[in-house]
Amino acid sequence: MKLKVARGYSKDASSYQIYEVPEKPGSTILDALLYVHDNQDDTLGFRYSCRGAVCGSCGMLINRVPRLACRTQLASMLLPESRHLVPSISIPEGGFELGREVLIEPLPNLERQKDLMVDMTPFFKAYKAISPFLLEKEGSEHFMPQPTVRELERYTNCVLCAVCFSSCPINGKELDYLGPAALAKLYRFIIDPRDAQRSMRLEKGNSTTGWWGCQFHANCAYVCPKGVTPNYAIAKARKMIRERTVAISKEDS
Amino acid sequence: MPAAITDTRHHDAIVIGGGLTGLRAALAANGAGADVAVISKVHPLRSHSVAAQGGINASLNNNKGEGEDSWEAHAYDTVKGSDYLADQDAVSFMCQDAPRAVLEMESWGTTFSRDDEGRIAQRPFGGAGFPRTCYAADRTGHNLIHTLYEKAVQAGIEIFEERFVLSLAMEGGRCRGLVALDIASGEVEAFSSKSTLLATGGYGRIFSRSTNAYINTGDGAALALKAGVPLRDMEFVQFHPTTLFGTSILISEAARGEGGVLTNAVGERFMSRYASKAMELAPRDIVARAIQREIDEGRGQEGGYINLDLRELGREKIMERLPGIRQIAMDFAGIDPISAPIPVQPGQHYSMGGVACDVNCRTALAGLYAAGEAACVSVHGANRLGGNSLLETLVFGKLAGENMAMDSAAASFDDGAAKALANSEQLRLKEIRSTQNRTQTSKLREELNRTMFTDFGIFRTALRMKGGLAIASNLANKGESIGVGDKAKEYNQALIGALEFQNMSCVALPICMSAIAREESRGSHYRTDYPKRDDLRFLKHTHITKRAGEHALTYADVLLDRWPLEERRY
Ligand SMILES: Cc1cc2nc3c(=O)[nH]c(=O)nc-3n(C[C@H](O)[C@H](O)[C@H](O)COP(=O)(O)OP(=O)(O)OC[C@H]3O[C@@H](n4cnc5c(N)ncnc54)[C@H](O)[C@@H]3O)c2cc1C
Ligand code: SF4
Ligand code: FES
Repeated sequence: MKLKVARGYSKDASSYQIYEVPEKPGSTILDALLYVHDNQDDTLGFRYSCRGAVCGSCGMLINRVPRLACRTQLASMLLPESRHLVPSISIPEGGFELGREVLIEPLPNLERQKDLMVDMTPFFKAYKAISPFLLEKEGSEHFMPQPTVRELERYTNCVLCAVCFSSCPINGKELDYLGPAALAKLYRFIIDPRDAQRSMRLEKGNSTTGWWGCQFHANCAYVCPKGVTPNYAIAKARKMIRERTVAISKEDS
Repeated sequence: MPAAITDTRHHDAIVIGGGLTGLRAALAANGAGADVAVISKVHPLRSHSVAAQGGINASLNNNKGEGEDSWEAHAYDTVKGSDYLADQDAVSFMCQDAPRAVLEMESWGTTFSRDDEGRIAQRPFGGAGFPRTCYAADRTGHNLIHTLYEKAVQAGIEIFEERFVLSLAMEGGRCRGLVALDIASGEVEAFSSKSTLLATGGYGRIFSRSTNAYINTGDGAALALKAGVPLRDMEFVQFHPTTLFGTSILISEAARGEGGVLTNAVGERFMSRYASKAMELAPRDIVARAIQREIDEGRGQEGGYINLDLRELGREKIMERLPGIRQIAMDFAGIDPISAPIPVQPGQHYSMGGVACDVNCRTALAGLYAAGEAACVSVHGANRLGGNSLLETLVFGKLAGENMAMDSAAASFDDGAAKALANSEQLRLKEIRSTQNRTQTSKLREELNRTMFTDFGIFRTALRMKGGLAIASNLANKGESIGVGDKAKEYNQALIGALEFQNMSCVALPICMSAIAREESRGSHYRTDYPKRDDLRFLKHTHITKRAGEHALTYADVLLDRWPLEERRY
């Protein structure tokens, strides 16, 4: 079984290197890369930590779809995809022989540092831009109905892996677009009854770099390894703005 | 000859580690007015804390129907669970502070799961007399660390990411800072500080079959050992009863807390033979041994596992309370626990031992502090109860940060030691990168992992352990002249792997020595040649200190000021 891996530093064009790895049942792409690093080539660069799809370190482009390497079974990458991404300028199609090799490249829309490692700064810049912290209300009582928790969990489950960011055709074109994860995070605070500034937050996304930049290609929801649906959050926020949702401002006062 | 390092960064308080302990400490130090920085070898959110699943203990008393819970009841369970090796002042402090710590996280934005009345929900956990484990589904660590990171962003705390701390700088009997490798550039940097915290997490990856992240290589213990600071109770390594067969990914105790049962190959709920009252919710050491015994005596499934059956819980409860476990079983074993049992086996899980410190997180070296899984206060003694470790990170992280800020006010900087050390460390790294003597790190690591798991695993004997110690010593020696294939300066992960191996192999030795010396069975340390607890000889903490290349083993008293010794039955 062959891995075809993009190599190189920063802006250099990738060179592709082929590695032969054993096909063990249950093996993930991360297992295969670690096998290469341990036994064949310790110069290969890639990030990982938890190997259980919770730390968000190991996002990479696998067979031209952004995914977590530790959550992707090697064997499944030899089969045709059941769905397809909406094409974008940063993710070309093809480039590998399906069934014979697995193509592994760094996440698009972020600059490469080395091999499969990318600079996450723009992604975290968008995250920080939305003030990703609860603005506490006075005298919080620590009560919340479980259905509210359930709704919040859809978004708090995000592991900040940037897989959605790199799948998004808008992020590929517009440098200032906050992107799916940051907007989902922003929405998470809008629907949190404990937050003191929910209408301010709704307004924060009220621009073409925010809610209105999205064109609902829905690549984000398709690639997200944690079932977060940023596109859904964006649609809800737009609806709130259109309806000038007073419910929030009422609760805030 | 590389250029000499003359620059030094200054911070009153430097926190090594960006997990829950480190972030909580940094927030506390910052809140107390200190200039604080966090240094972490990965982005904070990639720390192992993010993987914690089941929950965090606090006697919030939200389950009124079940009687009255109290911090004293929590502390008693913790002490008993520890097989009486925990220090009772530290346990009392932690359990008293627990409700505050949890409610603080709630008010900072953590989305805890709720009961019908909207209060923080609490579930039963092993070894606990009351359902007191608060949780955010089965992603408690994820939710807590995202909240703390958010708070750190809000507070504008300076974070040095992807810096690998190489050694501590000392001068005049004080810790004066540290030296770190910037993984991206390959440059060695000197950091000068008045107080330094080891919040580096555990040493689980020394063992094979570990639930831990790959990065849990015991670096903090290695740093302390090199600095002549004692390590405490290193023989106590927790083996979790239920890790996913094949990958050792954790299947949280919450699965049993919610009603999951363990069955052997003949379909028997075998826990009735080991802990007839507590059954699946006996403490971890007891359940892990029971499972291993079933497997060893031929009642396991083919390949060596037993079944964790959640089917009785039904779809709805599994989806609501254990969605992460279901996802793990589906992603990594192709099994949906709604319709089939999960294959599990015991695996290494937690490091009870660690850097010796007092109840104020101060170590024997002035200016050096330890907290969280890296430390041994000790609140877990010989066996940690599930849900107590997340609690420890928040309670002692905060305390460490406050004490660092307080002590820093009276201390001053001294850059000399860090600068000199930076220059010698730079040469050492160059040597590893350039040596032709290319040892394959992965082979050494695999041998160490295998040795530690088989010879210092769930069941231990003098004979096996002595053999294991010889192998580990040999590996530690080989580690000293390690080389790597990657010669690059930037992003040299092979170099990081080599440095981690050096740390793991030097931390393995105190584990081996402490375990061999402890001729009794207590908590997680079970010796088939000494199957009984021996309070007369071993109601004591083990300390290992390294001076001039030699390890010295001493014992220290356990503080038992409140709950008298009892036999441990469940
Ligand atoms: C799978 C799993 C599930 C768990 N579930 C629970 C649970 O439900 N409840 C519970 O109470 N406990 C649980 N635990 C235990 C608990 O998660 C940990 O004990 C706790 O999170 C440790 O936190 P920490 O901040 O001390 O260390 P960590 O989170 O491990 O952080 C260590 C930090 O130190 C840094 N670091 C290490 N070495 C260096 C170096 N050389 N240079 C620079 N930085 C360095 C790392 O980058 C990291 O940021 C679980 C553990 C596991 C393995
Ligand atoms: S929304 Fe999903 S894909 Fe995007 S960063 Fe979060 S977890 Fe990753
Ligand atoms: S290694 Fe943590 S998400 Fe893949």
